[in-house]
Amino acid sequence: MRLWSDAMWGIIRRDAILFVSYRSQLVAQFLGPLFTITLFYYISHLLTIRTIHSPGGYFGFVIVGLVIVQILTISLGVMPVSVRQELISGTIERFLVSAHGPVNGILGTMLFPLINALFSSILMLALATVVFGLPLAATAFLAIPVALLGVIAFMPFAFFLVSLVMAFKQVSSASQFIVAGIAIVGGLYFPIAVLPGWIRWTAEVQPFTPATDLLRHLLVGTPLVHPAIDELLKLVGFIIVLLPFGVILLRSSIRYGQRIGTIAEY
Amino acid sequence: MSTAPALSQLTPQATATERDTTPLELEDLYHRWKGLNPPVLDGVSLTLRAGEVTWIGGRNGVGKTTLLRLAAGILLPQRGSVRIGELTPASKGNHYRRQIGFLSAGDRSLQARMRVAQQLDYWARLAYVPRGRRAELVAVNLRRFGLEEFAERRVDRMSQGQRQRIRLAMAFLHEPRVILLDEPRNSLDDDGYQLLGEQIERAAGDGTTILWCSPRGEDRVLTSDTGYTLEDGHLERVE
Repeated sequence: MRLWSDAMWGIIRRDAILFVSYRSQLVAQFLGPLFTITLFYYISHLLTIRTIHSPGGYFGFVIVGLVIVQILTISLGVMPVSVRQELISGTIERFLVSAHGPVNGILGTMLFPLINALFSSILMLALATVVFGLPLAATAFLAIPVALLGVIAFMPFAFFLVSLVMAFKQVSSASQFIVAGIAIVGGLYFPIAVLPGWIRWTAEVQPFTPATDLLRHLLVGTPLVHPAIDELLKLVGFIIVLLPFGVILLRSSIRYGQRIGTIAEY
Repeated sequence: MSTAPALSQLTPQATATERDTTPLELEDLYHRWKGLNPPVLDGVSLTLRAGEVTWIGGRNGVGKTTLLRLAAGILLPQRGSVRIGELTPASKGNHYRRQIGFLSAGDRSLQARMRVAQQLDYWARLAYVPRGRRAELVAVNLRRFGLEEFAERRVDRMSQGQRQRIRLAMAFLHEPRVILLDEPRNSLDDDGYQLLGEQIERAAGDGTTILWCSPRGEDRVLTSDTGYTLEDGHLERVE
């Protein structure tokens, strides 16, 4: 276990070294959220939406959605691209020939982007609170374990996309569609209630809606439609069902590439 | 010459199976690339003993790299088997790979923006080198491959030959029982070539099995090795 965790830490450290070696990324990491928040702050001034009952109005509602989008963009958008980059540069070969192995190696590749996403989310909330006066609820600190749970629930979707990368080498457009689709049916920018009835059921069959609702409730005090425990159980249920499936899919895609010989192709 | 025992004997997680196994056995290997005929490997068998240095030559595209990738566990056999004792890449992949050091052809598999020492430490972690030996093995291999003065230099600021030395250092660093080298002379200058020969001789002296491929016979580092050529999917012994 110690050797495993040392290897995982080695991959996180590697990605952190690469990240800070491009200094403009650090600036972009701060400015990007600042511009996005500013944009939605002024848009929220134009809107009075009766279906939103957050103490912070639409701004409080959407800021949590933006945090989730940030995590989604990284887990579903950046991760497959990172793995593809490993294929192109040949650095994935180190995983393929190491005791740590390709599945652990790819899981390790996902860790730094996730840590980065959580850091960006905290930065975004801090900017919204300090600069734009977002009223954070007293329960905001409870959002941290729920956010971690949410991230774990999102991971199988990342595994699915990474599996596609391993098998077919290219999925960047697919991941953009998926993030956009989740943003619509997960109620990230607007309440589910405004969606037409025929599509509203989709909000119930993925983990993004309960994660978003719980985080909104804990961070800005938006009332929950269902009891908190129900939302939490739903989130845990998605993890129990989807996570093993995601890992098996990832393992199978690697085996498939190793068997037909395309594993090191790009 | 190092008298330190092999890492596989020191690693606490090394099982009795790992310690007691005989070196690499390739049996009846078959591989056909999709859409291409005939198969690039067709019934290749080879048993390599501890401390043996074996060279495989052959024309470009004849299947040398495919053979090494199968031996390394990067590819899984479509038919036949690859094993170190009871370990196979498919059934006990992580244990199997712990015994293997691998150098691919070309100049890939390096983290361009890491420093040389960081790169070796990163590899040592992936190779499950225990924490207590990591710094020592990084330092030893920096020295063995003439990289000490470049330890703090970024990899993308190194020459091709220097990068090849880093890649070679990674193949030897974790003291594997089998080292697979695909065109190891690439870009090496005379000093680098000599260092490579010394390290192959030292590792073989410690009981490490070495298998390496290159297209030309004159690339052979040692004269005392066994040689084969690969042609039409089969190995033929070179006397």
